[in-house]
Amino acid sequence: MAVDLNMPVLVVDDYQTMIRIIRNLLIQLGFKNIEDARDGRQALDKLNGGKFGLVISDWNMEPMTGYELLEQVRASDTLKSTPFIMVTAESKTENVIAAKKAGVSNYIVKPFNAETLKGKLKAVLGEF
Amino acid sequence: MAAAEAAQKIRIAMDQLKATGVRERPLVEVLDLSHQMADAMAAFFGSLDRSIIAEFKYLADFIQKARDEISGLQANDIKDTRLPGASVELDAVVRDTERATETIMTEAEKLMSVEPTDLAAYKADVDAAMMRIFEACSFQDLTGQRVTKVISTLRHIEERVTRFAGALGVTDTKQAETAEEVRARELLLSGPAMNGPSTSQDDIDALFP
Repeated sequence: MAVDLNMPVLVVDDYQTMIRIIRNLLIQLGFKNIEDARDGRQALDKLNGGKFGLVISDWNMEPMTGYELLEQVRASDTLKSTPFIMVTAESKTENVIAAKKAGVSNYIVKPFNAETLKGKLKAVLGEF
Repeated sequence: MAAAEAAQKIRIAMDQLKATGVRERPLVEVLDLSHQMADAMAAFFGSLDRSIIAEFKYLADFIQKARDEISGLQANDIKDTRLPGASVELDAVVRDTERATETIMTEAEKLMSVEPTDLAAYKADVDAAMMRIFEACSFQDLTGQRVTKVISTLRHIEERVTRFAGALGVTDTKQAETAEEVRARELLLSGPAMNGPSTSQDDIDALFP
């Protein structure tokens, strides 16, 4: 099934610059409906208020981290099937394993390039 | 003569003087009493443990050395001048990099949205945007100089603290974790690794077949 490029994508990062970079890359890839949140708590509020087709989240944020957000999403009956990609500078193997155990769809380590993001989006959503 | 024996003799002599009246005693007896007191004092001070004196001397020397080292640490200079100065420099680095990033991204976004229908106008837009991007990149020179100043301050503090700790034989004691450290440990927050990621993207990809 083709990826719906109109589906809402939520980008979660406490650095506006990173949100802007990911937003621009997604636009370049054809996504049209991109929202953002500055931390896990704000993201959860947005997720509970609308239907998102994908979450791209940083790990290290206050007061709720991306990992805590992932746990909350996977624990929610309504959100648990939402694809969730972690994009983070936390590159220790224990982080990757913890995220995988918590149900992350894919994991990108910063700094990353457009090709890597595109590859992970395809791996999670399918060809587009 | 032992100190206790001398003291006893003095006590007896004093009792005798009180009983009879000092003015009635011959001068030779007063001199004799003086000798006994002198003997008692010599015995008392002689009986003090010389190692205690040595300990006090060591302590006095240590305190003097500590005072010298604390003075050399220049704690007030570090607290009042160097650390605030470094903080100001780092704030400026953050501000400069944010400003430059904002400029570069804005110019790049403008380029992404330019319609290349008129090639001459398009080239002019691209050239102008590129010049602004080049100008914005000059932040690197300034931030480099600011960071060098901060590094110099940190080295200054490191040298003095190291010398202070070495001179006074300071050893680290185990400290309880702060709430922030507990949170970082429990939530696996360690930030970017030095010299690239701890686990490469390829190794991560292997975990997501």
